[in-house]
Amino acid sequence: MTLFHFVNCALLTFGPHVVYYSATPLSEYDTMGTSIKAAVVYLVTALIKLVCLATFLKVPENEGFDPYQEVMKVLIGLVDVAGLYFALTQLTHRNISQNHKFQAVGLGWAFADSVLHRLAPLWIGARGLEFTWEYIFQGLEANANLVMTLSLAALGSLMWLRKNKPKTLVPIIYACAFLLATMPSITSYLRKALEWQTREVVGFEIFSSLVMAFFSWQLFSACQRPL
Amino acid sequence: MAAPATTEAFSLSYSMFSLLLILFACVELGDAASAVHVYRLIQYDLGGVPLGSRISHLNHHAASLPLDPNADLSRSALLLPLLDLDLSFLTDYITNKKPLGGLVILLPQKLGNKFADFGKHVDLTRVKSVLNQLEDLLVHAELPYPVYFAYESSTFDSLLGDIRGKNFSSQPATSTNGGYKLVISTPEAKKLSPPTTSNFQGWLPGQKDGDSEQLPTIAIVASYDTFGAAPALSVGSDSNGSGVAALLEIARLFSRLYSNPKTRGKYNLLFGLTSGGPYNYNGTQKWLRSFDQRVIESIDYAICLNSVGSWENDLWMHVSKPPENVYIKEIYDGFSEVAQDMGFSINVKHKKINISNSRVAWEHEQFSRFRVTALTLSGLSAAPEFLQSTGNLHDTRKSADEKAVARTVKLVAESLARQIYEHKGKKLDIFADGSSLAVNVHHIQSWLDLLSRTPRVAPFLSKNNPFIAALKKELSDHTVDVHVQNEVLDGTFTFYDSTEATLNIYQVAGVTFDFLFLMVLGSYLIVLFSFLVITTRGLDDLINIFRRPAVRKSKST
Repeated sequence: MTLFHFVNCALLTFGPHVVYYSATPLSEYDTMGTSIKAAVVYLVTALIKLVCLATFLKVPENEGFDPYQEVMKVLIGLVDVAGLYFALTQLTHRNISQNHKFQAVGLGWAFADSVLHRLAPLWIGARGLEFTWEYIFQGLEANANLVMTLSLAALGSLMWLRKNKPKTLVPIIYACAFLLATMPSITSYLRKALEWQTREVVGFEIFSSLVMAFFSWQLFSACQRPL
Repeated sequence: MAAPATTEAFSLSYSMFSLLLILFACVELGDAASAVHVYRLIQYDLGGVPLGSRISHLNHHAASLPLDPNADLSRSALLLPLLDLDLSFLTDYITNKKPLGGLVILLPQKLGNKFADFGKHVDLTRVKSVLNQLEDLLVHAELPYPVYFAYESSTFDSLLGDIRGKNFSSQPATSTNGGYKLVISTPEAKKLSPPTTSNFQGWLPGQKDGDSEQLPTIAIVASYDTFGAAPALSVGSDSNGSGVAALLEIARLFSRLYSNPKTRGKYNLLFGLTSGGPYNYNGTQKWLRSFDQRVIESIDYAICLNSVGSWENDLWMHVSKPPENVYIKEIYDGFSEVAQDMGFSINVKHKKINISNSRVAWEHEQFSRFRVTALTLSGLSAAPEFLQSTGNLHDTRKSADEKAVARTVKLVAESLARQIYEHKGKKLDIFADGSSLAVNVHHIQSWLDLLSRTPRVAPFLSKNNPFIAALKKELSDHTVDVHVQNEVLDGTFTFYDSTEATLNIYQVAGVTFDFLFLMVLGSYLIVLFSFLVITTRGLDDLINIFRRPAVRKSKST
């Protein structure tokens, strides 16, 4: 029966990615190659981040929130942004519109993130006899992560691929992008310093991802309008 | 176009929300799995009749009292705290052979060695009587399900609270509606080869006056092994750890006297630590059989020590020859003289031996069958039944008082000394407190501590156990000619292994929960799919996905 639970949680974690790919026009334009390339870039970025973390961070003595360590983690988190930049701009894509490009890159990025961070714990933990809510929360987190990555990819494409943007919106774009990039640090701050419970943190993630998605969508459509 | 879609979406989300509410109501947020050390009920065959718990692995949902009278417990493991035990309920279940998935009995912490100082306060006398009845019931019945003992802890307290809270819905937890699952995964118990028992003997030879006439011998004997409902917990501090501690102290005192040729008495002293006590003193019989007939004839009398750690003012002297017998009277007079000086009374109890009955209630009866005068000194007033008072669950360190053992030692030592050195009738205090021959309470205490930490059920106590080596060393320190006799126990008893295990407690969610979750997930994914199709491709595309087969059909006709 617990294999059942594993299947359920796997569906929750990876299902939305598959649904997103098949529901939107991405499947019609066959952007699978782009997604795969984005996933590979994510892998390389993750490795670089690991090396940086191992070199610069100290092992924490206590569980408390250490601001200097967190600032260091934020800086290393910007490596993520660099990777996304690379995936969006430097990889050669076939002729797909900008609209679809950021979606494909974001999807591939989020899928790789889910697989790397969540598949192994799921396989090992969710098949046991003991029932915990942990893996359901993890799946919800994966969903929120997908939305946030898509928003970040959208803002990224706005920042780096679109040449003509309304001047007033530029700082807002950069602010939103920075907020999205530092989202992991914000959640870890909530978890450690304010000691929120897991369900509260996941709720916050979902809520903030929807809010940021809304903002990104508005910004994107605002930039679509011909000047 | 947009209006019907939004109302549709709204109703969908509303139904999803209500489903989620039901989901959350089914299962509470629980702790992770816990693992607890548990001790199994003994499994044995007596003369071919299977007794005790016959199964060792457990994998059932936990249930507890109060229960629906018609509840089917064949797939539940019953958790029973000892203090709330309803013995009539359990007796009913066992005597009517009702099916039960498993039984876990929770003992108060005060009984354990580790928690004895921290446990909640309990009325130990009440606990003792309940435990005795429970053990009697369990040891003499055949139980085709696993039975385990565990100590109470906060884990079990919260577990019981949770289960009792759910009981108000009057449905024991099953695989469909979740609950707690108790899992003990051990392989099935295997038959043990007939156990080897070790009988120890040590001599303190007396001073011969030049002529080669054999000196008379006085034997002091105690059996050291135990038998109880839970072999891993059967430490028998009083029965018969107290006897062993007393014997070792007497041996120490007399070895001091006998080490100096000037104070060596004209009697040989034979110390015997026998095994096989609970099994009708089978080991004592084999030990006596191994002796030469001349040695047996030279034994004046034997003093057997049994359960001397729990008496206050009355000590009992059990004999099989009538008290009017001249030898018994002499010994009794010697004892009561010393007892009077020490301020307590000693009573004689006569129990005739029935040769046709194989039941041997006291160790001295084995001596009597070899025509040796013998008696048993005990704090117990009545002869224990078969497999009773042999190291039960309540018989832990607290039930043996080293001061009572010390009094017994002084009694026996003084009486023996007065006889050996021919000072009968004289008011003497050879082993006075504060003298170099004083009874060492700390020696007794340290042996009682060791005995209370060592479960000594014969089939599980191997020859190479460090405890056996410790006994041998202690005897060798104080006596000479230490000899260990290894014998195989008689064939009427067959034992099975697997006495301890680890209980894993899991909180499980039940199939219902999984199905509900799958429904919710499926509807979520479908909603997501529809939402994405509508927003990116338009509502027409969504409808076209479902209409395509119909369109094709109409085209073909």
